[in-house]
Amino acid sequence: MLFSSELIKGTLKTIVLKLLADNKRMYGYEITQKVKELTRDRILITEGALYPTLHALEADGLVVTELEYIGKRVRKHYKLTPTGKSKTKEKVSELIEFMQTMHVLLDINLQTS
Amino acid sequence: MYTLSDQQVEFILKDIQQKGIHTEDLQQNLLDHICCILETEMKADDDFERVYTLVLQRFYKNELLEIEQETQDLLTFKNFYFMKKVMILSGLSTTGTFMLGSICKVMHWPGASFFFVLAIGLLSFLFLPLLFLLKQKELKSLQEKLVLLSGVLVGMLYTVAVLASVMHWTMAKSGTYWLLMIGFSFFVFIPLYFFNGIRKPESKINTILVTCLMVIFMSLQFLMVSLKPDIQKQITAIEAKQ
Repeated sequence: MLFSSELIKGTLKTIVLKLLADNKRMYGYEITQKVKELTRDRILITEGALYPTLHALEADGLVVTELEYIGKRVRKHYKLTPTGKSKTKEKVSELIEFMQTMHVLLDINLQTS
Repeated sequence: MYTLSDQQVEFILKDIQQKGIHTEDLQQNLLDHICCILETEMKADDDFERVYTLVLQRFYKNELLEIEQETQDLLTFKNFYFMKKVMILSGLSTTGTFMLGSICKVMHWPGASFFFVLAIGLLSFLFLPLLFLLKQKELKSLQEKLVLLSGVLVGMLYTVAVLASVMHWTMAKSGTYWLLMIGFSFFVFIPLYFFNGIRKPESKINTILVTCLMVIFMSLQFLMVSLKPDIQKQITAIEAKQ
């Protein structure tokens, strides 16, 4: 089952930050492939959602870029800043708490229905 | 693995630029991403342009420009929320400071001038400009933005004129600040507001009513300002006789 883009949208920043925390530095295509591989094709990050998010993270000072020149094109590798590292912990904890809350909430709904 | 030639890379870059991607960073990201996909998925005998067109379609729902817009929106929204918070804070501070200034003035306590200057400074140079910057994003046409801008300028001139009167500034005695505000309203703001609103059937009546009210208000204000020196002259003359 492929998860809907609405569900992914709210967690995309956390996903990207966590991947960068685990992999030191990554570029856009690599991020999409890693997510695809880790989730066994259940989460597909679209380019239309990924790049605006990466640019927003860069503007927030959570990630910095390193350029790699490949012939006529430039590859931008993203890596976390110290602020980005602490933000990642914060975002992951927030997401865990959210999932636990949702679990409780859905269980209550199931029992009452 | 297929390797793209320099010409093919240049072709992709030009194409994404033509399709509305203007941010250089985003161009680089998309170019590399498309190249990675093509180099992974393309076979030696595949038609480059055909495969490229198919790959590019995965990037958007309606058009590639969406990615550029989404990026700009996310970057703008960051500032948008900050500006909104500052605007609300400056609005609240202005209200509080005005109240304090008024109490001090009525009670003849010291500090009234300080609070008035601070409140009008906050209102004119922080709250009103931020209000313009945030509201103009919601407006589509240049004319509507001009109406808003001239309205904000009238607001700024009005508050400065009030401050000048309360503080007895030299220029205020001749009513220059008031006349400047009234003149700007009569010759710039009100005509802009009127001609912008009258064209729209849904706002026609409302525009006529609001324009009438504004003209009446500004005329009264003008009357007050132009009569004020005469009254003051009469008072001075009566005092001199006594």
